[in-house]
Amino acid sequence: MKEWYERIQTAQNVEDLENIRIAIFGKKGILAQQFEVMKSVPNEEKANFAKELNTHKNELTSLFNEQKTVLQTKELYEAMKAEALDVSLFSTTSRKGALHPVMETMDRIVEYFSSMNFSVETGPMVEDDFHNFEALNLPKYHPARDMQDTFYFKDEMLLRTHTSPVQIRTMLHTKPPIRMIAPGAVFRRDYDLTHTPMFHQVEGLLVDEEGKVSFANLKFILEDFLKYMFGDVEVRFRPSFFPFTEPSAEVDISCIFCKGDGCRVCSHTGWLEVLGCGIVDPNVFKAVKYTQVSGYAFGLGVERFAMLIHHIGDLRSLFEGDVRLLEQFQ
Amino acid sequence: MIITKSWLNEFINIEDKSADELAKTLNSIGLEVDRVVEYKIPQKIVFGHVIECERHPDADKLNVCKVDVGTAVYQIVCGAANVKKGLHVAVATLGAIMPNGLEIKPVQLRGVDSEGMICSASELGLADIGSGIIEFDNSIGKIVLGQELSQNKYLQDTLIEIELTANRGDCLSIYGVARDLCAAYSRPLVKIADGEGEERRMGIGRILQLTHADDLDVNLRYKAIDIKEMKVPFLTSLRLAQIEEKQSSDLDAFLFYGTYTTGVALRAYDYEFFKVSEGSEKKAKIALNLDNLGFATIFAKDQVASVVGINQNDASKMSKNEGIVIIEASYVPPHIISKQMAQNKIPSGHLFYRTSRGSEPKLNIGLNYFIGMFDKSSTSEIYGGTIELCDDHEPVVISVSLDEINSIIGMNIDKTTITKILQNLGFDIGKSQGTNFVISVPRFRHDILNKQDVVEEIVRLVGIDNIKSKPFLLKEKNALSAGYFEFKKLRKYRHSAANQGFFETVHFVFNEKSKLKEYGFTCIDETLELLNPIVNTLDTMRPTLMLGLLNAVSLNTKSGYKDVRLFEIGSVFSAAREESTKMGFIYSGDAYKDGILNSGKSSKMDFGSFVQLISNVVGDIDLVAYTPTHDLANPYQCAKIVFKGQEIGELFKLHPMVQDAFDLDQTFVCEIDFSKLSFDLIEAKPTSKYQASFRDLSLVIPQNLPYTEVQKVIDECKSQQVVRFYPINKYIDFNLGENASLTIRFVLQSLEKTLEEDDITSNMNAILNALNEKLGLTLR
Repeated sequence: MKEWYERIQTAQNVEDLENIRIAIFGKKGILAQQFEVMKSVPNEEKANFAKELNTHKNELTSLFNEQKTVLQTKELYEAMKAEALDVSLFSTTSRKGALHPVMETMDRIVEYFSSMNFSVETGPMVEDDFHNFEALNLPKYHPARDMQDTFYFKDEMLLRTHTSPVQIRTMLHTKPPIRMIAPGAVFRRDYDLTHTPMFHQVEGLLVDEEGKVSFANLKFILEDFLKYMFGDVEVRFRPSFFPFTEPSAEVDISCIFCKGDGCRVCSHTGWLEVLGCGIVDPNVFKAVKYTQVSGYAFGLGVERFAMLIHHIGDLRSLFEGDVRLLEQFQ
Repeated sequence: MIITKSWLNEFINIEDKSADELAKTLNSIGLEVDRVVEYKIPQKIVFGHVIECERHPDADKLNVCKVDVGTAVYQIVCGAANVKKGLHVAVATLGAIMPNGLEIKPVQLRGVDSEGMICSASELGLADIGSGIIEFDNSIGKIVLGQELSQNKYLQDTLIEIELTANRGDCLSIYGVARDLCAAYSRPLVKIADGEGEERRMGIGRILQLTHADDLDVNLRYKAIDIKEMKVPFLTSLRLAQIEEKQSSDLDAFLFYGTYTTGVALRAYDYEFFKVSEGSEKKAKIALNLDNLGFATIFAKDQVASVVGINQNDASKMSKNEGIVIIEASYVPPHIISKQMAQNKIPSGHLFYRTSRGSEPKLNIGLNYFIGMFDKSSTSEIYGGTIELCDDHEPVVISVSLDEINSIIGMNIDKTTITKILQNLGFDIGKSQGTNFVISVPRFRHDILNKQDVVEEIVRLVGIDNIKSKPFLLKEKNALSAGYFEFKKLRKYRHSAANQGFFETVHFVFNEKSKLKEYGFTCIDETLELLNPIVNTLDTMRPTLMLGLLNAVSLNTKSGYKDVRLFEIGSVFSAAREESTKMGFIYSGDAYKDGILNSGKSSKMDFGSFVQLISNVVGDIDLVAYTPTHDLANPYQCAKIVFKGQEIGELFKLHPMVQDAFDLDQTFVCEIDFSKLSFDLIEAKPTSKYQASFRDLSLVIPQNLPYTEVQKVIDECKSQQVVRFYPINKYIDFNLGENASLTIRFVLQSLEKTLEEDDITSNMNAILNALNEKLGLTLR
């Protein structure tokens, strides 16, 4: 019997073990033979013999089961090993697409103002002189029209030069109070290293009762917004001029590249101009027949924000669908 | 607008202000600083006096000079053509290190010792006033021999370029900027002196006469000078070089300088141009009248001499260096000039930029400054007095309360501060009653017309950075506008597309008309077309996103990409120029990345896989065979896309000829009407708890029968238990003859029970019967 214990333990594979099983437990196996032997054992020894034989049967069975599990596991692992991979061959790059940095920047901007309870308004790209200029305190002979070179159509319509006409349209069909932003594409007749004939703006407008809206309010939201967009930057307001606001200001942030020490990007001034804003000019309210109101407005160029935030050097590359640039935004 | 510190200093004392402080102040009052240049002249460069100048014995172009620098006399060999005895010059003495790094050492030039160098302006790093050595004169103060040039404030100066906004015509002069700085620093403005010795001079009235029409909104003032000889002072030349101005004659240089300094529009006319003989008496007659376009015009007899504020007839200009010249200062309110020019555009000269933004209305400032300067630099005779014409001007008066001012600013600024700011700016504040201001605006501030303009002045001088920010307190109001949901919808589909591997692109909404027409697209009607396109490749508004996407794919293929996957959501325009939003996709090249999985060779993108990608973005779609109106598509692999029973766009394989034209690999394109994509709330349907069963039917169908027909029949006859069915195989073989084999998989499921074999069989039989009856199809 001893020998069979050893044979189970030294079986090398499941197949060997199966042969051993047959040799032990099979019809002609050694256990069957021993039970046959038992028949001729004298009666007084029979109980002992049977007990011993049963003990052997149980122990062999459990040893067999144990060894079978071990061998099966071993064989499974061998099979798995045969299929082993060099995982390092499968390092890969993503096949995901990506969203355009300008559109993503626009989304971030819209998200901020949405969370500040501004509604999102849109309007047509093809505009008329009234909505794009006249109502915004830019009469035909105003010298400030020089600032914007406009695309005209043969029927005297034009491509909007800013998203401000959306503000006019919103004011014309809604009563105050108004709290809105207008994101979208705008057009100026300019095409060089730093200008494209189409670019994107987000403009904002807030209108409420007369005496309620102040320059201090405008400062508050723009400072907060610029910190949301650019992180911990200093914000500076400089008086400026826009026909549709009065007082007007341009807003600078401390240069995010040199932290204000002066570098090529900020023309060694330490500041980057990012926004224009002001208190709405009374002539604009007159044009939309609002009375006894006050308001502020602001506007920014999305491409400039995107270029600053993502360190993109070439404005024109943003409009070429160049995957070399786009795939970096996966 | 370029200013320099020493120039400003003629009108406001700012010697104590550093360049940085000055730039900061200018920025804070709204005069945006673009550029600051500090001229730094190296040490050991001193004033000297050429006391002898002899031709070099061995070189024609060299002179040997003896130069007195106060403490010593040096022998210096000089090659400049303009060197001569008696000049005051800049001498780089031994040991001086020039801005270009050259150190001045004793040298021998063709055998003659030279102990220093006589310098030109550019050698010193100053603005380039032309070739030759500098010839100093007393325009930069008394010259002390041996004094370091760096001690002289006119040479060691600071230049600041400011960008002026269109409303600030009043700051288009040195005087104007100084005036604004006076308000910022609360310092007095230096007045320009009246002409001296007027009483000794012959009166201008004896040689000049002005006739004019009435009520022309024109101000004119004339002086006359009998020019004998004149020389542009060194400082004037230096400053004209600093502002990058070159004038063709000395008189023009004086005029330009006078205008630039004071802001007054100045012109000079040849006296002869106006001269008429009346018997023995000779007199010039100037006539002001409207021309036939309505511009105020100066006439000499029948000829136009100039259009006031806009241009001048060359024939009326002074071309000689001697003789009588008439100097004219003029002013027309800028809005009148701008309006007239907008109505009838005529050629304009250099003064127009200034006059259309508002030149200085106080004409005597400009004339006096000019005459004073001219008097010092020439021996000419100046006629006494002026001839002038003034319009009736009522100043703008604005009434505003302290409360109004403070509520716009959002901070309390006291009355005294406001009063002081406004007075410093030259505003006249009448007797105030309580907290009301009645403000009379000086004429040079054309931009101040209402209360908020006044507030702006206060804001810029208080400094916006000194206004404390305050949150706006709002009434609750739902801001979820239609625009907001449109924005959310855009986001949803943009993200889906990117997740399916497409890169978002943004293209100009402009396209090339000839290209579009070549491919059979309908462009904007000719009558509605762009009037002034920027280049001819962007000469119309795009009717499709496809051309832009194709160009982008072509560019990316050229830069080495084996597969290019792009999308765009943007505006397109119909023939009637109506704007709508489309979503376009393009996929070109390999279906997979090349690599270990495909032994470096990927299969190409195919129709079915492309449809799957689009469907992953858009939702469940049906495709219907279709022939497009344009020529981009391969007509045998082109479909109309149907979504929720509505046609939403097209999808196709690019025509091989177009593929070749753009030099592309196998390419698939899809364009969808974005407004037809859904952004509705989803309503959940009941779901079955019981297992679904699958059955495949293989049918014999005519080869040319579109699957749509089969689909229609099944859709009409199937029971609710058939929840889904889709084709899984189609093949043609010899045994089938004209027919093909089509296998369709059916998914069956009931809400009430697990379907039994009998249920399934009866469903399948019903479908088979219908197919047989309607289309004559049988089981294979």
